[in-house]
Amino acid sequence: MGEMTISSPSTGKPGKAWLAAEARLGRRAAGGLVGIGLLGTLCAVGQAYCLAMLLAVLIGTDGPDEPVLWPALAFAALAVARAVIGVTSESLAFRLGATARRRLRTDALGRLLAAGPALLRSAHSAELAAIVVDRVESLDGFFSRWLPASMLALATPILLAAFIACFDPLAALLLIVSAALVPVAMAVFGIGAGRAASRQFTAMSRLQTRFLDRMRGIATIVMHGRVEDEAQSLLRAATELRQRTMRVIRVAFLSSAAIDVAAAGTLVFLALRIFHHMADNSLADPVSSLFVLLLVPEFFQPLRNFSAAYQDQFQAHDAAKALEALPPMPVVAEPDKPIRTVAAQGITLVFDRVGLTWDAARGPVLEDVSFGVAPGETLIVAGPSGAGKSSLIEILLGFVRPTEGRVTLNGADISDLVPSALSKLTAWIGQRPVLFAGSLRENIRFARPEATDAEVDDAARFARVEAFAASLPQGLDTDIGEGGFGLSGGQAQRVAIARAMLKNAPILLLDEPTAHLDSTTESEVLDSLRRLTLGRTTILVTHSAAAHEWNQGIGGRRIDLKDGRLIGNRGAA
Amino acid sequence: MKALFRLMALGRAQAGWLLFGLAMSLISTLIAVSLSGAAGAVFAGGILVAAPMALRALGPLRVVSRYAERMVTHNALFRALADLRVWFFRRIAARMAGGLGMARAGDLLARLVGDVEAQDAVYMRVMLPLVGALALLPILAVVLGNLDIWLALAVCVLFVVSAFVLPMMAMRGALAGGTTLAQAMAGVRVATLDAVTGLREVRAFAAEGRMLAATQARESTLLTAQSQALRRVSWAGAAAFLSAQAAILATLLLGRDHGATAIALVFLVMAAFEAVALLPRAGAQAGVAAAAAERVVAMTDSPIPCPDQPKPAPLPASYALRIEAVGFRWQEDRPPVFDGLSLDIPQGAHVALLGPSGIGKSTLAALCLRLESPQIGRITLGGVDIASLAAADLRHQIGWLSQATHLFDDTIRANLLIARPEASDAELWNALERAQIADAVRALPDGIETYLGEGGLRFSGGQGRRLALARILLSPAKILILDEPCAGLDADTERKFLTTLNQTLGDRSSILIAHHLAGVEKLDRIYRLSAGRAVAAAG
Repeated sequence: MGEMTISSPSTGKPGKAWLAAEARLGRRAAGGLVGIGLLGTLCAVGQAYCLAMLLAVLIGTDGPDEPVLWPALAFAALAVARAVIGVTSESLAFRLGATARRRLRTDALGRLLAAGPALLRSAHSAELAAIVVDRVESLDGFFSRWLPASMLALATPILLAAFIACFDPLAALLLIVSAALVPVAMAVFGIGAGRAASRQFTAMSRLQTRFLDRMRGIATIVMHGRVEDEAQSLLRAATELRQRTMRVIRVAFLSSAAIDVAAAGTLVFLALRIFHHMADNSLADPVSSLFVLLLVPEFFQPLRNFSAAYQDQFQAHDAAKALEALPPMPVVAEPDKPIRTVAAQGITLVFDRVGLTWDAARGPVLEDVSFGVAPGETLIVAGPSGAGKSSLIEILLGFVRPTEGRVTLNGADISDLVPSALSKLTAWIGQRPVLFAGSLRENIRFARPEATDAEVDDAARFARVEAFAASLPQGLDTDIGEGGFGLSGGQAQRVAIARAMLKNAPILLLDEPTAHLDSTTESEVLDSLRRLTLGRTTILVTHSAAAHEWNQGIGGRRIDLKDGRLIGNRGAA
Repeated sequence: MKALFRLMALGRAQAGWLLFGLAMSLISTLIAVSLSGAAGAVFAGGILVAAPMALRALGPLRVVSRYAERMVTHNALFRALADLRVWFFRRIAARMAGGLGMARAGDLLARLVGDVEAQDAVYMRVMLPLVGALALLPILAVVLGNLDIWLALAVCVLFVVSAFVLPMMAMRGALAGGTTLAQAMAGVRVATLDAVTGLREVRAFAAEGRMLAATQARESTLLTAQSQALRRVSWAGAAAFLSAQAAILATLLLGRDHGATAIALVFLVMAAFEAVALLPRAGAQAGVAAAAAERVVAMTDSPIPCPDQPKPAPLPASYALRIEAVGFRWQEDRPPVFDGLSLDIPQGAHVALLGPSGIGKSTLAALCLRLESPQIGRITLGGVDIASLAAADLRHQIGWLSQATHLFDDTIRANLLIARPEASDAELWNALERAQIADAVRALPDGIETYLGEGGLRFSGGQGRRLALARILLSPAKILILDEPCAGLDADTERKFLTTLNQTLGDRSSILIAHHLAGVEKLDRIYRLSAGRAVAAAG
């Protein structure tokens, strides 16, 4: 599995500033939720007081005739209020998380899309998708739980301690001291939790990537009888995930145990104090004693919520690092005007001493490559596989920038073009066209969504898609599976040709367009391509002898690449 | 619901852990209730003299038991979930020997990750507190009943409502929404994967905005579904809260005549209701889990295509392959691919099968590997109908290099070892040599340990094809079906490979599927496919 090598643009501790900024935003948004939470606490105080009054009646210090009606009614009314407040605050919390997720997911996917296909060289698509789907999803807890809980964990105990202090200052002091110990315990137990959370996500992402990759190649695994091996390695990955997850939640359990100690200790202490007062008949005010006792769980509840959301915070730290490390959104420049206006008369394409290195260890894929293609001309690029032919096309498509030299279209450097402007100029038929699950028609229309049905039909006819679609039950509306399931390699290629036709761009880039075709279909497709190349600047990468002959027929030139260098530059034969 | 029970039954393997967790949870619940009862009992000092002592002992016990319970139950749960994922993979593999077909990889991933994860609610949030509730109900009935039968009745009815009725209602209500929720989550995953997998196409066709919008639309659906699910969960929680409050009030009002003892009861009731307070919410979550379980089972319980017979015949020693008057069509409403196809590939023979694309060359491979069964006629291996052989045996004997052969995101070595895990280094390099790719691999800084990238992305199309070729040559299969082995190779490499192919095959048979011949192949027979039959062609 390739490691993610997306560089981080920031300085300092990665993700920290990002998360701090998000937290500021999130806290501002959580104001209403905190207000409602405090209102709920006030209701709980009222309820505790009613309950204490009712209980005091039972002890009988005030006589059995004490009225119970109004405390009982108030208790019931406050219960209903608390229920409504509970539902409201949960829905508010959801909205906080949802708003943040929506914003962050759009940002993350937008940045991936802007960075483009070069990303796939260093990361598996499942890893990238996990950032957009799972990383962002894991941030929900940060906004909907952790931020409000961290504010309420401070405000609510202070509010309650103030009430308690009115009746029993010693109890209030005791509660505040034990509450102050909670964050200390959490910090102690939380040492190393950040790294544990990060490892947990890595384990999860690895499990996903492995599974997705294995699913795409499931036929290969079954055919080689390797299902059991793969099941075992999936079990190993799942076991690793379990161990990592346990390490993360243990922190949450330990800090929650620390609160249990504080809560149970306080409760036991207060109850025993009441017991001793009762034993020597010195219990002056049973209502206030009971009231204080009943508020103890309420006092610790926000701290519990705080500790339960503790792991959300670790996950958020980790997610922040990943999201901040995504390639930044490029600044959108003005579309290059000269290119646009000249496009009508055709485009001159020039490679000027171009070099490209994907991976320093593997050496350059292209070195000192120079050539030019005039408007309407077709250039064949030949050479053994791995010579760098496809890399040349990828530069023209803007998937990657040359590491040396420059490529110009009508004199303008393509590095200065925004991706959308460059993509308007080029149509491309690749070696491995990605087809999406959906109908043939939808797959062709992908090239130009606003195309009419008639235009799609034309493109399909032109690329000989109709020839095989006719035998399918629903013709062009037949659904195909992900990755072109249901189509042969040659058929998939013809869909890609139809896309290029529909797109109708001034530069045509053909990367082995006839590799999977039989000779009859190949000559038909070459026929179609000949019409497509008319008036367009075309680069054709091919091994096919037929294509070479075809190009000579139309007077095209040919260059030969070997190990990334130009070894021949012949004119028309 | 049936699916849910089916998945629960799979927990058997971890029954020890799961029961241990259950016991710990029960102990922890009882300690919590006793602690609260004891706290209340201090007010009834005259009745329960032991209360202060109990308090001192129960306080620490509660903390320890709660921590232990959580560790044990989570451990048990994650073990069960890991098993479930592996089970899911095995079942999928048995059903998708021919590839994913119309299934989406992202959707399968969503089932493996999210839908399996949703099952945690069943054990953690439903089963554990439910057992606690079953233990608490008689305790409440006896303790309260001793004092006042009406009080006991009122509280027990409220308890039953809170612990059993509300969760059940919440579960039913959540079933339909659960399906929507699971589908919505899968939708986000699929849309995102489409955008990321297709980054090249997306850039080339300037589809960034469209892909982003598609994901955003799926996300909106997800957020709506989540918000509806949450609303159900919070109202169920509110109902549980209100019934607990009603029980407390009832205890206070009906227990008035019993003086201070009633205080202990109030604390007991509070703790008992707290133990089941999350059950109605859990009911709603269990509804979601049940819907997710349906999605898991839907993939794993579909019939296995071309399953093995109950007692498969042993693999014959001979590997002569005969196709006898086979008729096959993919679907009723589609024209037949084969109509009386007969082919004879004797042991060790090298045969070529020619024809234009779409004539059924790949279909023939699928039939020989029993990914599909012919509707008419039969195929025999060593004289035995392949329908009576075990599919695993058959596929051990026949190797297939398809056009869609997948290169895994792993090292070259790992990719090769899939064909033969026990292969030595010398054998790996030998296979690479024969596929004409050894020199290129040797030139890499990491050599055979180089990562291929997703789908072999870090290598050119022709190089990837040759690596796949090396893999199939390494496999121990006696019959190799090579579907366009040279697609994407330059003419020189193609010629070199085909010239040496026969020597490298040894005593194996080969079926070369191609559009045309390069002219250097050494073949025993050449067939041309046409109109659903094979016609012998001149070499």
